[in-house]
Amino acid sequence: MKHLSDQELMAVVQGGDYSPASEIYDRYSARIYNFAFRFLKNAEAAEDAVQEVFVKMLRHANQFHGDAKLSTWLFSITANWCRDYLRKADNKAKESDDVLVTLPAPNELSPERNLEMRENEVRVRKALEALTPEQREAILLSRYQGLSYAEIAQIAGCSEGAVKTRVFRAMETLKKALTGRDSGGDRCLNAIS
Amino acid sequence: MSECHLMRESMPLLLTESLDRDRRELTHQHIESCAACGDEWAAYRDSWAIMGDLAEVEVPARVKQRFLEAAGIAAGAPLEQRRSNVVPFYRRTSAKWLAQAAGVVIIAGGAYFAGNQTGALRVDPTPATIANVQQMPYSIAETRVLPASQISPQIEGRPDIQNVQFLDHEGDKIGLSFDVTSRVTVTGSPSDRSMVRLLSYVLENNKGLSASPSRAIEWVKETYSDPQFADPEIASALAKVMRSDQHEGVRIRAAESLKTMPAPVAGDTREALIDALKNDPNPAVRIKAVEALANLARSGEALDPATIDTLRAKSVQSDENLYVRAKAAEALSNIKLQ
Repeated sequence: MKHLSDQELMAVVQGGDYSPASEIYDRYSARIYNFAFRFLKNAEAAEDAVQEVFVKMLRHANQFHGDAKLSTWLFSITANWCRDYLRKADNKAKESDDVLVTLPAPNELSPERNLEMRENEVRVRKALEALTPEQREAILLSRYQGLSYAEIAQIAGCSEGAVKTRVFRAMETLKKALTGRDSGGDRCLNAIS
Repeated sequence: MSECHLMRESMPLLLTESLDRDRRELTHQHIESCAACGDEWAAYRDSWAIMGDLAEVEVPARVKQRFLEAAGIAAGAPLEQRRSNVVPFYRRTSAKWLAQAAGVVIIAGGAYFAGNQTGALRVDPTPATIANVQQMPYSIAETRVLPASQISPQIEGRPDIQNVQFLDHEGDKIGLSFDVTSRVTVTGSPSDRSMVRLLSYVLENNKGLSASPSRAIEWVKETYSDPQFADPEIASALAKVMRSDQHEGVRIRAAESLKTMPAPVAGDTREALIDALKNDPNPAVRIKAVEALANLARSGEALDPATIDTLRAKSVQSDENLYVRAKAAEALSNIKLQ
């Protein structure tokens, strides 16, 4: 199975054979879990999201078109699930759950760098929490999943321009939170030749 | 809109290297010639780098197991056996089929019996009911092959049949493959022993919840924090969740629920609360646990020497959360001497 492409694996699933499910899960579960975990700020919900996404992938395999990227399709399902989760009134209160993540300390790093990373981790998590769900979705897909604006637009169901605006506004907020530097306004009047 | 603003809008694209060559050149030229935008660009790059320190979180192994179970695929089974949607025609041993049928009958019969009880449900003093459910040789995740000759031609009711597939001829046989589900609803007073036992079981084995465990605990808390329904078995189940669940959020919710339980009931879980206060790595769980203990002390519940020692140790522990220390001291001040 490992030598088969995503499209080939999905073709097998579309034929009614679920045996590639495990391989597809191994390829994408970490990315989906991390996206959902950071989007929802809730480990339990992220676990539910991963399970639901892969079950939906199997049940609705015929909706996947071979010319698309499997990652984009899976992130579309994940983002929809996460948005539904947040839309439910009960879950909004859960957003503030203080879930602490214990990171494994990489051995090769100095204690100072380890400490710095841990502090940064907390700061980034808090900064991401300050974003709107739309901005958070866009920045998570762009920064941490490396998706293009076109792919994010497809996932978010909006235009590329809207994605650009969301990422820009998200970065403005993150920049202020992480570096303390606010946008200086339009101080520069240089013309571009 | 000024040139600078346009350039700054391009900076996120510059970070992801998504700008076309001309625009990239133009933006870099502007950044080099404009001090303010140069600063802005430096801030963007710093932020981007700091964001890289957000570590990847590992997916718990149980998630894969849950997915494979939900998809009807046995983990670890040879691939040939995982072709769950294309069911081969072969006859299983009649003993296994009968065991599965017996499982269905037990579930359906139990639901019918529960639904038609006019009086109070009889209390079963042993955990046999729950144990039987757990050990029943019937798995809803299992793919079964049933020879048509062994199925009654009379279809009763309107079974919920989904994902129907028509299987081609194989020799002189054809096939129809589908998912069929039945749902069992158990109703009763919150004080019914059977209901209490079922809820305790569900809380302690929360894999099959459609809601998140936290919300399930919240639902239980709303019902059983009422003194007339307060039940030590529910409190005990919550204590087990608080002790053993891997998710901090769930443990916090369980500790919080115990805090709202009436003192005589929560008192039975004192050991678990002390355990959480001493050992839980999450300060929020320790806070809820010490609050529950403070409530117990305030209500006049007698605290044993071990509990008092723990509270005393916590109240002066220099590296402990300040709120935990204050609450531990408060609990100590409220202890009524026997």
